[in-house]
Amino acid sequence: MATVERDPFILDRPTGRRLRARDAIVCVFVAALLLVLLEGESIRSSGERMDAGIQRDAVLAVGKPAGWLAEQLPLADAVDEVTAYLSPDGDLSGEGGFDAAPVAGPAAAASGGTGGGASVPITTDSFDPTELGTRTAKLPQLGTLLVTGDSLAQPLDVQLARRLAGDGVQTVRDAHLGTGVSKTGIVDWGVLSTQQAKDREPDAVVMFMGANEGFPFPGAGGKAIECCGPDWAVVYATRARRMMDTYRRRGAARVYWLTLPLPRDPRQQAIARTVNAAIEVAAQPYRSQVRVLDMASVFTPGGRYRAAQDVGGRKTIVRRPDGVHLNEAGSDVAMGIVLQRLRADFATLGRSR
Amino acid sequence: MVFPTVQFAVFFPIVLALSWALMRRQNVWKPFILAASYVFYAAANPLFCVMIAGITLGNQACAQLIHRSDDARVRKRIVVLAVALDLATLGVFKYYGFFATEINGLLDTAGLGLPLPLAAIALPVGISFIVFQAISYTVDVYRRIITPATTIDVALYLSFFPHLVAGPIVRAREFIPQLQAPRDPRTVAVGAGVALIVIGLVKKVAIADFLAREIVDPVFGVPQAYAAPDVILASYAYAVQIFCDFSGYTDIAIGLALLMGFVFPQNFDRPYRAASFGEFWRRWHITLSRFLRDFLYIPLGGNRKGRWKTVRNLMITMVLGGLWHGAAWGFVLWGTIHGTALVIEHQFRGKVTLPRWLAWAIVFHLVVLAWIPFRAPDLGLAGDYVSRFADWGPATLWTAPVVIVTFLVIALQLAPARPMDALRVRFERLHPVALGASMATVILLVAATVSSQGVPPFIYFSF
Repeated sequence: MATVERDPFILDRPTGRRLRARDAIVCVFVAALLLVLLEGESIRSSGERMDAGIQRDAVLAVGKPAGWLAEQLPLADAVDEVTAYLSPDGDLSGEGGFDAAPVAGPAAAASGGTGGGASVPITTDSFDPTELGTRTAKLPQLGTLLVTGDSLAQPLDVQLARRLAGDGVQTVRDAHLGTGVSKTGIVDWGVLSTQQAKDREPDAVVMFMGANEGFPFPGAGGKAIECCGPDWAVVYATRARRMMDTYRRRGAARVYWLTLPLPRDPRQQAIARTVNAAIEVAAQPYRSQVRVLDMASVFTPGGRYRAAQDVGGRKTIVRRPDGVHLNEAGSDVAMGIVLQRLRADFATLGRSR
Repeated sequence: MVFPTVQFAVFFPIVLALSWALMRRQNVWKPFILAASYVFYAAANPLFCVMIAGITLGNQACAQLIHRSDDARVRKRIVVLAVALDLATLGVFKYYGFFATEINGLLDTAGLGLPLPLAAIALPVGISFIVFQAISYTVDVYRRIITPATTIDVALYLSFFPHLVAGPIVRAREFIPQLQAPRDPRTVAVGAGVALIVIGLVKKVAIADFLAREIVDPVFGVPQAYAAPDVILASYAYAVQIFCDFSGYTDIAIGLALLMGFVFPQNFDRPYRAASFGEFWRRWHITLSRFLRDFLYIPLGGNRKGRWKTVRNLMITMVLGGLWHGAAWGFVLWGTIHGTALVIEHQFRGKVTLPRWLAWAIVFHLVVLAWIPFRAPDLGLAGDYVSRFADWGPATLWTAPVVIVTFLVIALQLAPARPMDALRVRFERLHPVALGASMATVILLVAATVSSQGVPPFIYFSF
């Protein structure tokens, strides 16, 4: 290795004048004050989106008064307007938001949010032809596959994209980290799923989500519905069912909804079990198009967490150290299950590697 | 905790104000900054603090024993033990899974049983940086370059939050003397600090994350789906992304330290203007190259023991330098490419002289090519990626912003430094209120470019 003559320091180069420590504090606090005045609401909403804990409390301790202060001034809207063109996100102010829908309570939610309590008609959509032993005359072509969800959808999305690239399938990867059906602060999946289905018109959707669930749902009379009882499951299933209905596009698309492998943390296991039960219930009216792929029994058989399992005859680590996500090898296993179902539903995939 | 986040924006002003308020009372200031640094680190995982405390106490104990002993053999044994323990810590957290998988694969192929146990071990962020700094402290005490510092100074040296997670790799002899006396509150490089923070934020959020989102991640994720034009642009874009991501982090780290009165070594010096690999390594991750030089290449014999041993030493240094980045064959290949290039350069030094522009073009493009195995998820995909260079299909990702940003960053590295320096110095001379307002404006603009996914972690957090 070539020898460095002298170790350079950052202040060796020409720099401006030296100031006092007081000036450093003034400078930082001027910046902080301006940010509070102009983006106080963002600070508060960032805190509200964080998981419970000291960090959230600290951010909210600043964010709540900052948000209140910003609300009293018209500056935030002006800044948002000026900087809106820089945002890389699509406009998610469309229709279909979960929070926009009236929630009168679990009973209403259970009946699809209508509040009428009327019996839901059973249609042919409720039956998976494969389970009935009937065969479709001609399998459709898979043109566009949307792989979406939260962080659980990674690296499954990229693995599917690689595997299907040779089959002429366009794989759209659209994972939204840190989001959830019960967590609408960052992304409202009601709006997002509507937009994904409209913009992409996918022939198939792979959904893998649930790492950030367990947040309370708004209930009747402003009372929160806390996780993870039947009431919470009802609202979760209702929202998931709406998303399934959106993605299946009146029967034009297939949906592959992966259940959650149980996480290591027992408290999170309770959430995952409820989410899995809700997914099963949510899919019932759409069995013809919606496949629920059971990851819990594959990765956590008997409800027991394990980091490693046999893959191709060799003991392999399949979970990430966080005890929640699947690693590359685990995602590979999940991908195999997804591909198996895709092959059963679509033509031209049989010769994929 | 990550720099460009709301949590850090709440954390830093409080710590900065209290730091200067307590500065004169060092017996209070030091525990305060140590606690703040541990809080910063605990935000990732509180258990990691146990690891860093263990590394601190272990190295301090060894440094004290080395210092007290006059027996050269005893001193050597202790330093070897300390370095071995440091490297073992690194090995367990960073390399165990990789080697266990590889060894089990070999045992399996050979039909032998008794596989090594597998465990999903969480990688503490910044462990490679922490371990290297710990080694630097103990070895410098062994070499009698420094005397052992107090335990709290060593703890502060290893955990000082601006450099804790991704460097720069500050040497003990550079940092610990700065802890011997309170920093002078009358000569703080406020302008330089703010300028670096602002530049770092723009590099990380507005450039690196933008390029990652728009071209690098899609193409490196599924290279089979793209043809040569996209693959070529993605190669240049990744060279720019990794530079802006890593140098952006160190700019912010150095800037924050300056506001607190501390000076760190420079870590980058326009690396893509290098016309030789030797020059590249004097400009890229400077603190890592000098660490490898001082603690690996020179102890191996450097270039003093003949031609072939120089070749051997260069290759060992660069391959291990590659492996330092992570347990993957792609990093080994990257180190091997750089090692081979340095060897070739060494062999032809003085025999062949190329025009500077030609030398630059060769070095720059080899550096860009070497980033492919570094970035690709595995060697198979790196091969797929390279094979796409031969497929001349349509350019689907050549948008004006991506092309302009990519080539502008490269062009700025080639341009003379003086006009940019003059501009920066003018900025640094602004009134503190104007500096603060400028910083807020940049933060607002940069924040507007962040997607709903938030700011992705710095690439070097995983190293």
